[in-house]
Amino acid sequence: MTQNRTCDGLVRRDCLKVGVLGVGAFTLANYLQRATAGDIRDAKADRAIFIELPGGPSHLDSFDPKPDAPDTIRGKFKPIKTNVPGIQISEHLPKLAMCADKFAILRGVSHTLAAHELGREYVNTGSRPLASLEYPSFGSTVNMKLPTDDDIPGNVAIPRASQGPGYLGIRYAALETNSVPKFSQPYQVRGLSMSGGISVDEIHRRQSLLSKLDRRFASVESDRQLLDGLDRFGSQAYSMITSPRARQAFDISKEQASFAAPFGEDSFGLSCLLALRLVEAGVRYVTVQLGGWDTHQDNFTKLSTDLLPKLDAGLSALFNGLEQRGLLQSTAVLATGEFGRTPKINDRTADGGRDHYPRCMFMLMAGGGVRGGQVVGESDETASAPKHEAISPDDVAASFYHNLGIDPAQEFQTESGRPITLVRDGKIIQQLFG
Amino acid sequence: MSRRPTLSAFVFFRSVSLIALFCIVIEGNASASETLPPLSHRFLTGPLQESVSEVPDFQRHIGPLLGRLGCNGRACHGSFQGRGGFQLSLFGYDFKADHAALLDQNAGRVNTTDVDESLILAKPTDADAHEGGKRFEMGSWQYRVLQQWIASGASFSGELQSLQHIEVTPKEIVFDKAAESVALRVVAHWSDGTKEDVTELCRFTTNDDSIANIDDSGLVRSEGTGDTHVVVAYDKAVMPVAVIRADTHSTDRIEVPPKSTHPIDQLVDEKLSKLNIIPSARCSDSDFIRRASLDITGLLPSPQTVTAFLADNRADKRALMIDTLLNEPSHAAWWATRFSDWTGNSEAQLNNYFPVRGAASQFWFAWLEQRLGENVSYDKIVEGLVMAESRLPDESYGEYCETMSMACREGDEATFASRPGVPQFWARNNFRSPDERAVGFAYSFLGIRIQCAQCHKHPFDRWSKEDFGQFASLFSSIQASASGVSRDARVERDQMISSLTGDTDLKGGELRKKIAEAVQDGSVAPFPELVVIQDFRVRAEKEKNADKAKSKKQQQRAAVVSGKILGESETIVLHDDPRSSLMSWLREPANPYFSRAVVNRVWFNYFGVGIVNPTDDMNLGNPPSNAALLDYLSDEFVRSGYDLRWLHRTIVSSDTYQRSSDPNVTNVSDTRNFSRHVPRRLPAEVVRDAVYLATATDEESQRCRIDVSALAIGGQLDSYRSKDKDFALQVFGQSSRESNCDCDRSDQANLLQSIYLQNDIDMHRRLTQSNGWVAKTSFELTGKAMRSIGESNDRGKKDQAGASLRKQLLGRIASFQKQPLPRQEQLRQKLENELRRGNERLIRLGAESVEWELTLSEVNPSNNIAVSPSILETADHSLRFREWVDSAYLRTLSRYPDAGEREIAETFIRNAAQPSEGLESLLWSLLNTKEFILSH
Repeated sequence: MTQNRTCDGLVRRDCLKVGVLGVGAFTLANYLQRATAGDIRDAKADRAIFIELPGGPSHLDSFDPKPDAPDTIRGKFKPIKTNVPGIQISEHLPKLAMCADKFAILRGVSHTLAAHELGREYVNTGSRPLASLEYPSFGSTVNMKLPTDDDIPGNVAIPRASQGPGYLGIRYAALETNSVPKFSQPYQVRGLSMSGGISVDEIHRRQSLLSKLDRRFASVESDRQLLDGLDRFGSQAYSMITSPRARQAFDISKEQASFAAPFGEDSFGLSCLLALRLVEAGVRYVTVQLGGWDTHQDNFTKLSTDLLPKLDAGLSALFNGLEQRGLLQSTAVLATGEFGRTPKINDRTADGGRDHYPRCMFMLMAGGGVRGGQVVGESDETASAPKHEAISPDDVAASFYHNLGIDPAQEFQTESGRPITLVRDGKIIQQLFG
Repeated sequence: MSRRPTLSAFVFFRSVSLIALFCIVIEGNASASETLPPLSHRFLTGPLQESVSEVPDFQRHIGPLLGRLGCNGRACHGSFQGRGGFQLSLFGYDFKADHAALLDQNAGRVNTTDVDESLILAKPTDADAHEGGKRFEMGSWQYRVLQQWIASGASFSGELQSLQHIEVTPKEIVFDKAAESVALRVVAHWSDGTKEDVTELCRFTTNDDSIANIDDSGLVRSEGTGDTHVVVAYDKAVMPVAVIRADTHSTDRIEVPPKSTHPIDQLVDEKLSKLNIIPSARCSDSDFIRRASLDITGLLPSPQTVTAFLADNRADKRALMIDTLLNEPSHAAWWATRFSDWTGNSEAQLNNYFPVRGAASQFWFAWLEQRLGENVSYDKIVEGLVMAESRLPDESYGEYCETMSMACREGDEATFASRPGVPQFWARNNFRSPDERAVGFAYSFLGIRIQCAQCHKHPFDRWSKEDFGQFASLFSSIQASASGVSRDARVERDQMISSLTGDTDLKGGELRKKIAEAVQDGSVAPFPELVVIQDFRVRAEKEKNADKAKSKKQQQRAAVVSGKILGESETIVLHDDPRSSLMSWLREPANPYFSRAVVNRVWFNYFGVGIVNPTDDMNLGNPPSNAALLDYLSDEFVRSGYDLRWLHRTIVSSDTYQRSSDPNVTNVSDTRNFSRHVPRRLPAEVVRDAVYLATATDEESQRCRIDVSALAIGGQLDSYRSKDKDFALQVFGQSSRESNCDCDRSDQANLLQSIYLQNDIDMHRRLTQSNGWVAKTSFELTGKAMRSIGESNDRGKKDQAGASLRKQLLGRIASFQKQPLPRQEQLRQKLENELRRGNERLIRLGAESVEWELTLSEVNPSNNIAVSPSILETADHSLRFREWVDSAYLRTLSRYPDAGEREIAETFIRNAAQPSEGLESLLWSLLNTKEFILSH
């Protein structure tokens, strides 16, 4: 029992907050009850942050540099050393280089779906997409397997999530903020503030009236997924509105200036800060998106002037911040795009571009039981393919779930009663946790 | 033909192949009428050189075999970078490229002198290490086919043979129970008359593996009850085979609804009886009026309409109501919203096309709205988009600019709607390149996704890369950019610009700003024109980098570009405008897509699911759930002269549309055969407007039903600035109209939507607005004004702006009322326009709108509520509360409360600190029920 946490460890701040405000119900008794029920396990992480990089970031120009490859492949960037001997990453990621001990780099991750939508569905679920069935996002599964108190959302996406809840049903869909925090502006999710001037008592009265009147579909047997989802969202909205917990977590202006500073002024960095505050408050799963990686044209300019600096600042601040708050042990982090990009540089623009390339890509994992400061897997000399055995999105999903104490081989049932294995073909990558 | 296969049939099939193994020798040149047995029979006999003289054909055998072996899959050599230096076209069909790749001199893939050394034999047998592993055994029929092809010279004629069709047996599979299976047999019919069993060369997929599975050999296996299709692909052909297994529940205790003679009902019933599904009963009158009103007009019915309809005893009242609804202005507006979705009317994509922002998309909307209101036939509407010209015949450039400038001034928007076409359809940023146009055109008018074929053979349709390229070429001569005008207008345009800008040399945004201002001030600004280039030529891709002077010469020498319409053989040379050919093709009665696409989309609007689903993916591999139904509707729609109202009326008047949402045991899980009403979340605009109307006074609501411009279905809340977009419309998933996908609109529920309905500032404002229903109603009883939310400073500037604009407008009304009558008559129209625009701005600012009624008399504006003393004096509160509760139910759920609900609601109001608070809470609760947010 190395990491059997109590309120003393990771959730202390929640307890304090709850204690002070007297709302919500994450008490020690409650916690122990859940721990015995098996929801909080001896597992490593019990919450997660997913950094989604839609568009498909170039692996060669970020975390899988090939300085010895021919210049039609190598690209314009030089590798730099990190604080882990032997690991090199792109020169445009200096801050991440200084905290490379906190995360693991997966190289030679490989699949075959070169279209954005399909690739995204694959890496965001760990199951190769099927026409007849939509698999759930990681966030929806986590939301289902690791419940939260009702006054805090279980699954939040800043600003949106690419993958929906699939066969688990809409009740596990992410709360999408639809907006990103901006520097030095107050941030709240609309509707969570009490600017309506309604008192909590009044809300309670209304809710009790609503529960008496909302009877029409109570006994209907069909379409339960939609109907239950609406009920679930309704009662959760009610809890969140009447408790200050979520509101405060969303308000990044409440953060100490010195702690917030490394996250910078860019919206991605601030979204990372928001994600950190949310998992700290008890949200189980937060998706943060940084898009724009579809660099068919002007690959090097876009990466060096915009994308990599943003990723570098935000993600390094997130890793350091999680560590500083004692949350890295309990928070599984996964960062990935839908695929890598072609080793061969295209010449459609003077600056060069790279096209979709699922056969070889990178991912980052950190937190929970993941040992930072290591490279898992390897690509060949030109980063065109895995050098040895490929790591599949299925393997990554299995490992990510494992890190969260969720058995990737468990079975779910779809609404029509069809049994589905959570991750069909994934093997847990033991090296990650070694 | 349907047949019920049994296990023994399958065993028989298998044993035939076993027998073939030992004794049958068949020559390749069978006579035309005979079907050639499978390759495995022809090539599996003794030592090759002695027994088989047949030469396999590259297109018929080698290509498909490589596909079947998995060689051209995306994971393998079908990847766009190839694999191991060897690339095949994804899903095959680029025979030339594939043949060239195989015969690459230095690669040794095909070695005609030392046949067995060929890599395509050595690799897949794993004799030479193959990353893809062993695909077949040495000496197997696959081996022999490839070996014989190589030995005989590995040739490919270069000419494509044309496949007439594939014949799949059985044509339909009906299973009785789980785990039953049946083997498909596929015969290819070539246009030279030859026939061949190609079962073992096909690609098989299933559309729903919870109902039927299919393996690589074409063996179909039953999994669950219901119906789906398995899909067979060979060469260019794609053929679906229906698989069906009936429900086994006892139907003894289910009441069977009376049979209907409506053609839709008959076709739906036919399918349902195959599935042993009994449809639900007809819905109640209150369900009908709500559902029909929401679906036909996008609006909740007014409380008065509901009351009158429920009290109406006429037998044909539903039919009469359908006609009434089809004539409402909201019908035209709501369907203009849907047509805008399908045709991609997006201000973001039209940004800067016209000098005045917002104009291009609003004109487009108004143009559609006018035509739908007049029931202009569908083909005419499409013609207005496809064939659009900027100028009228005989209109000079100057006159054109004058009219367009006028149309851009507030209050004169209707000017554009009366013009014959919408040229901005061609000017969208995501509709510029020929490829984008091919994709967008197919999406909008054909309901198909041809983008797959942009890079490779469409896996579920017959389109090849070549087909896509030919089709895209047709769009290359149409030019529509913000600065483009026809040749004769260039000088005039430049003059207009310099007269507007004076000596300053403005560019880009500055210039646009200047022009926009000038238009508002009444000047005439230059407008862009759609231009179709005659005898359109382009220089070849390779020459682009060549010396400029030289390439110019080459450009002159280049041939006029030509292309082909999808699925047509005739070449169209771009000598003149290709759009007329496209339009007449769309109108051909035999066109397989044009009418079906729109019929299917309209159907979707009424059922939440298409007959083909998704509605924009009508490919061969995705057949209709009820083909006879789709055929009937689209044929009759064409026969009606593309009469949209006929289509709406026919659908809505069927029992199928009017089914109850209460299921029985047989149809509880049916979502694709229309046996019951499947509840769905209301669309974004509809939700937003339903809340608006439910919380407004009857007068305001009545005004909006006549002039829909203040409503979301009126199309004017859509802002080009994303931060000003209506929040409710975003949260509830309004279509972004940007990616050529019907999925741009979302009908999913989510947490934020519940938070919005419970606690968003918009909701609180609407419930408490001082001229809203709650305030007015309770004021009548108590004489007390209620609190009003949202006038606090939480939104700062925006609220201030709203408040001051509101004050200004009220001032205008007051001063109008003070004018003498003749003056009022003169001023009225102008003031009404101003107030309407003012209200739109107020709504955008999130402020309450001003309520007005300009009567030509010396009365006060209706904002000052005259309290009738009689009500206050004689108020019997209980009686009033009952009326309130009824009214709250009618304006939200379009029905009366039942006794229990009435009791709960009345008690709640009676116990509230203030009746107004009680009423507000009641209305809030009703707006938060599932019954409100769902169709039922």
